[in-house]
Amino acid sequence: MAQINLTDTNGRKTTLNFNEGGTLMQTITDAGFDDLLAICGGMCSCATCHVYIHESQLADLPDMNADEADLLAMSEHREDSSRLACQLRMSAALDGLRVTIAPSE
Amino acid sequence: MTQPIKERDYFTDPGVLRDPYQYFEEMRPRGPVCQLETHDCLLVTGFEECVEVLRNPADFSSLNSLASSAFPLPFTPEGSDISAQLEAHRDKYVGGDMVVTYDDGHHTNVRALISLMFTPSRLKANAAFMREYAGELASKAIADGKVELVHTIATPYVTMVIADLMGVPPEDRTLFEAKIAEGQTVGSINDPDSPTDMSVVYFIAEFMGRYLQERAANPGEDLLSELATASYPDGSKPDLIELISLSTFMFAAGQDTSAKLLANAMRYVVDEPDLQQQLREDRSLIPWMLEEVLRLEGSSKATHRVARRDTKIGDIAVPAGKQVIVALAAAGRDPKRWGDDANEFKLKRPGIKQHVSFGRGSHTCAGAPLARAEVATMFNAFLDQTDNIEISAAHHGARGARNYEFEPSFIIRGMDNLHLDLQAKTK
Repeated sequence: MAQINLTDTNGRKTTLNFNEGGTLMQTITDAGFDDLLAICGGMCSCATCHVYIHESQLADLPDMNADEADLLAMSEHREDSSRLACQLRMSAALDGLRVTIAPSE
Repeated sequence: MTQPIKERDYFTDPGVLRDPYQYFEEMRPRGPVCQLETHDCLLVTGFEECVEVLRNPADFSSLNSLASSAFPLPFTPEGSDISAQLEAHRDKYVGGDMVVTYDDGHHTNVRALISLMFTPSRLKANAAFMREYAGELASKAIADGKVELVHTIATPYVTMVIADLMGVPPEDRTLFEAKIAEGQTVGSINDPDSPTDMSVVYFIAEFMGRYLQERAANPGEDLLSELATASYPDGSKPDLIELISLSTFMFAAGQDTSAKLLANAMRYVVDEPDLQQQLREDRSLIPWMLEEVLRLEGSSKATHRVARRDTKIGDIAVPAGKQVIVALAAAGRDPKRWGDDANEFKLKRPGIKQHVSFGRGSHTCAGAPLARAEVATMFNAFLDQTDNIEISAAHHGARGARNYEFEPSFIIRGMDNLHLDLQAKTK
């Protein structure tokens, strides 16, 4: 099964299996990681599923739409590697994705 | 020695309807997760425990989320995993063919379609209509000097906003409005054997079927066109029945809850000392007001789950087949999460955005961004055009001794009516 490598806000590292077709947000929340709040449940409305993607893998991701970019622009923890996990749909091509949960606002 | 309070029936007791918060406080000493005496189900009143259940879709099915935990399972659960049994009996559940009750891959697929619906850019595109229509309704009410908010303003407003967003033709909108107005509530306490009547849903579904077929042939810019031409994440196409179910649910689901939220919020704005004046002076406080109202008095009192595997909530064992009332209204006032002032209204409460009044996890209310935008827009319209808003003492009694009638539902929290006196802006 395809996997991601996740680092939580305490720096703990773990490996999670993911189902293709689901989002990165679902992969992380379904595994019980409470520090990814994901308050709006994937509607691209709250920016509480903010993650950092390893820079070497950023180019593998789909482009950001204007809503995601606007929400991230308001985050005080915005980095070049920032994405919203609810906007990243998982596929076999993302096997091995290295993800770090951003600090909450 | 004080007598223990006799447990009241959450699903039918009129006192619980009037003040569900008192009921939850009576139950809270039994623990954040407790077995009811009146029904074979668990009641979850703790904030953390509610979040835990909502974020554990692997162990908790949403199949009974609309049917509720008031009824026994329609089969005898066998073994430590009843997932297959639940799916085999899906047709026995009210709303079993609607996204709110879906689990697993089917839910993920349909939720992917929903995630397109209320994005910030789509709401922005709809903002002008919302502002204009809110202004129009408020203006008429203010000219009269008084209004009954729920039926005259809130319900038509939310119906027209979602109709506009979805692309329901103007000539059909009033038909829907009339049908919705005559429909029974969901989770009626007055009809214990059949608390959720789906006739309005079926009425709307017929129209949605026609619109979707038209838009598939001639897509426009509206939401129905987007749905009619959308694909699941794997590239496959949803069938027409699925799209009808989804669009009908999205149209109907937010009606009552958004309308009630506007009225619930108005109560606080009028009766919380100084709040109305604070909002008049600083409109940026409206979203903060709204989140605190959602925490204290959100429109959904509870949602429901059924354990499909032997599992746990905290360290409490939950066997497969056990139904669970996830008491969102109790979570909103859990002193362990919100502190000793959990029952008080406080603007800019720390961590307020984490309330669970729209749920949490994969089934979080998809219409939440729309509901927030609708209520904020209507408040701005009223504040723009008035110097003062009062709750009608003639209808509801004096401040501090108000009387309200609540919708007779064990799901919805909201007033049947709210009469206001309105003082038009003088300068």
